[in-house]
Amino acid sequence: MISVGWTLLALTTSAALPQEEETTWVIRAQTVYTAAGDPIEDGAFIEVEDGIIEGVGSGSRGGDGALECFAVTPGLIDLSVRIASSRWSVEESDEVQLAARMADAVDLFSYRWGREARSGVTSALVSPPDNNVLGGLGIALKTAGEPTLEARLLRDDAVLRGSFGDYPARHSTPNRLAVGPPRDFRTRRPATRMATEWVMRDAFYKGIAAKRSGTAYDGAEVLESVLSGERPMIVQAWATQDIRTAAFFKAEFSIPRMIIDGAAEAWREPELLRSSGASVVLPPMVFGQRARDNAFYTLSCAKTLHDAGIPFALSGHGAERSDERLAYQPAHAMRGGLPFEAALEAVTMAPARMIGVEDRVGSIEAGKDADLVLWSGRPFEPSSRVVGVLVSGRLVLDPRPTE
Amino acid sequence: MKAAMSIKRVLSCSLVLVAVVGSATASEKLVIEAGRIITVQGPEIADGVIVIEDGRITAIGPASEVEKPWDAPVLGGPEFTAFPGFIEANTTRGLDRANESVDVAPFLDVRDSLDPINFFFEDCKRWGITTISVQQGSDCVIGGRGRVVKPHGDTVEEMTVRPSFGLVLSASPKRGKSRATQSQALRQAFTDLREHLEQLVQEKRDGNDRARREALYQGRDLEGERGKGRAMTATAWKVDGLELVPRGQVDEKQEPLLDLVEGRVAAFFHCSQPMDVHRALEIARDNGFLARTTLILEPACWKAADVIAEAGVPVVLTGDLTHTEREPLTGEELETFVPTVYRDAGVRFALSSENSSTQSLWYQAALAVGGGVSRQTALEAVTRVPAEILGLGDRVGALAEGMDGNVVILTGDPLSSTTWVDTVVLEGEAVYRRDEDVRNRHLLEGIAQPGTQPAAGSSDVAAEAEPESEAAMAEPDEASGEETGPDSGEEASNEEEEDTEQ
Repeated sequence: MISVGWTLLALTTSAALPQEEETTWVIRAQTVYTAAGDPIEDGAFIEVEDGIIEGVGSGSRGGDGALECFAVTPGLIDLSVRIASSRWSVEESDEVQLAARMADAVDLFSYRWGREARSGVTSALVSPPDNNVLGGLGIALKTAGEPTLEARLLRDDAVLRGSFGDYPARHSTPNRLAVGPPRDFRTRRPATRMATEWVMRDAFYKGIAAKRSGTAYDGAEVLESVLSGERPMIVQAWATQDIRTAAFFKAEFSIPRMIIDGAAEAWREPELLRSSGASVVLPPMVFGQRARDNAFYTLSCAKTLHDAGIPFALSGHGAERSDERLAYQPAHAMRGGLPFEAALEAVTMAPARMIGVEDRVGSIEAGKDADLVLWSGRPFEPSSRVVGVLVSGRLVLDPRPTE
Repeated sequence: MKAAMSIKRVLSCSLVLVAVVGSATASEKLVIEAGRIITVQGPEIADGVIVIEDGRITAIGPASEVEKPWDAPVLGGPEFTAFPGFIEANTTRGLDRANESVDVAPFLDVRDSLDPINFFFEDCKRWGITTISVQQGSDCVIGGRGRVVKPHGDTVEEMTVRPSFGLVLSASPKRGKSRATQSQALRQAFTDLREHLEQLVQEKRDGNDRARREALYQGRDLEGERGKGRAMTATAWKVDGLELVPRGQVDEKQEPLLDLVEGRVAAFFHCSQPMDVHRALEIARDNGFLARTTLILEPACWKAADVIAEAGVPVVLTGDLTHTEREPLTGEELETFVPTVYRDAGVRFALSSENSSTQSLWYQAALAVGGGVSRQTALEAVTRVPAEILGLGDRVGALAEGMDGNVVILTGDPLSSTTWVDTVVLEGEAVYRRDEDVRNRHLLEGIAQPGTQPAAGSSDVAAEAEPESEAAMAEPDEASGEETGPDSGEEASNEEEEDTEQ
């Protein structure tokens, strides 16, 4: 066999971890980036007790048992993680699935949780598939912990997921001769962008009409929560035309909180986005090719949004390849001109605020969950590495050198 | 529309070329000043100067010690970092198609399918890649001859650094083959060579003139060395009496393999699985070209690291630097950072721009540092090691007196995310300036190129069509798949695609 020394990271699902786990730590680092004010430089410590941050300060604290690293950031938050317990397919019974809950379908035993957790993502919003025009309700969970919804829950039914653009129509049967029986279910599904938009508008009008007339409409209370701003709506829209559609839709129905996911061409419409009040989740950077829906994704997209004052988050979109995950996205955004502080914000506090969980996660402050990422060098540089991860105080990736 | 667009592309491309060449220094001397020179093979130089004369570095050192020719133009400045260009040891990009459908095709030469205005070469300059070995792809049993080029020039000849360099072989199966048939085809190719040579010798002994007549009929060169026979010099196996056969009479389709067996050609052997490594090494050993072999490896091959170390061959690491696999029983995911495995096993490795993320070399080197490789080893893996693999260790891959005048002037540290290539100097000529690189602004900010914008009123359409049209064409067009209608076949592929997204 190969001599020792190679890096083998074997991450277990938390089910395999011992029941009684250490959740009290002292962490020492050169710099702690709190994402709540200035970083603490030239030596800092974080005290964690029972999974909660007890204190943060400069100087040294803790004895031999302390975890040490170069820098600490808050755990990363990804608003577009894809983990389901079924096949990632489309719900064919109805295009509008207002009552579908991701809470019923999320697979807590998927190896993908470990993949997200050890690459630094500690909180994830898992939404229904993009193939339905209105897919249902997403759930925000921690990426590690006891494998129960209760133990990992950040926010239940956190968002309503919708989708504009080519995606819902992609799997549909296009128009064909009006003879013979329909070939399958999908014959009736929207086959174009305009029909996708119509289906979504139709659902909203029916919901509003039902409320006015006092008649029953399935999922009316979900639509109401979106229309009142109690629950954000997250829609997929990659290309400029779909981003515009989303912004116009937000205005048409006065939807207070709309998050546009996958907005690779957001750089084309900073003014529209700013005035619309929508926030944005950017997909992983692509090189030498177009993003989904043939969208042209520029390196400076994040910077453009930052300069325009649009709230935005970066995302790994459940990337398969190790170097495409969320921890590597800020580097590309910074290459495009985004300042470090804004990049840090875009993977921590910004996504936390978008789904309203900023009281629990997103920054390193006393009283918040101990979701921490420990880095070997300056965070987000490709020459740095995530060496340690804590989720609610549990050590998911151990920064201490192995024997 | 498509034709019009491509004409535009060619035009804009040549505009860029004209702009760059126009600004390039026509004189034979050039001075580069830099606040920091990373020489790679020696210590760093602070406040350094590089003097290039007639395409070669004639002096390099601290500004206080190097005499600058008074009549040479000066590039760079104290805010810049000078770095030897990045070197790509093996890529198929720049070719119109990576492989021929023929199993064994060593008679092909990438010269015939290299496209000097391919977007890839423009991108190389943008990423600071100055020497590129363009080889055929892995979808073959034995591929054709490669070529080492620089990413600048209007013709293949102008670009060429080393013609006919390298021959590609693949131990991982060509499309439609299993590993068993692939191995069989590899061995058969060398058996065929041997039989062919034996037949030639036998014919000469019998007084049969067929080979000569065939060579004459095909118009092959039979003068000078080509008209003389030479005993076989191979180490692994020999055909006695080959001195009877003038080398010009050896079949053209077999001759590149004879060159390989006689050790005159570098071999690039593709392996996608650890098991392929064993077979590649065995075939190279059995046919006497192990000493000239470089393995082109996919991430999974790390499991064969000690076998590779024992064979003493260098490797090129393509794809993701982290290998991910599922434990078959528990379903757990196991991740292995590949470069440190080779480092610890004592294998010399080069990193490759044939990766799935940025397609650059600096990023791979930075990731290697992140994974625990020392900075020096990581820098060497994108400069000196590939230079040595290409047999150019004394010419490129480091900054020193006597080396080629290839210098990349960077705005900062080569491994930092915010560093840009400011200027690329190839053999003493500035061939790339970032401030003149219209397409780079395009990739960065998405601004339409001046002169490519259609009539007023449709500016949005322009922005839609123009940026990165090359890449857009290379990408499988989702929309066009749609038009054909989702029959069961397409359905399946769509679902497959989505599975990867879960």
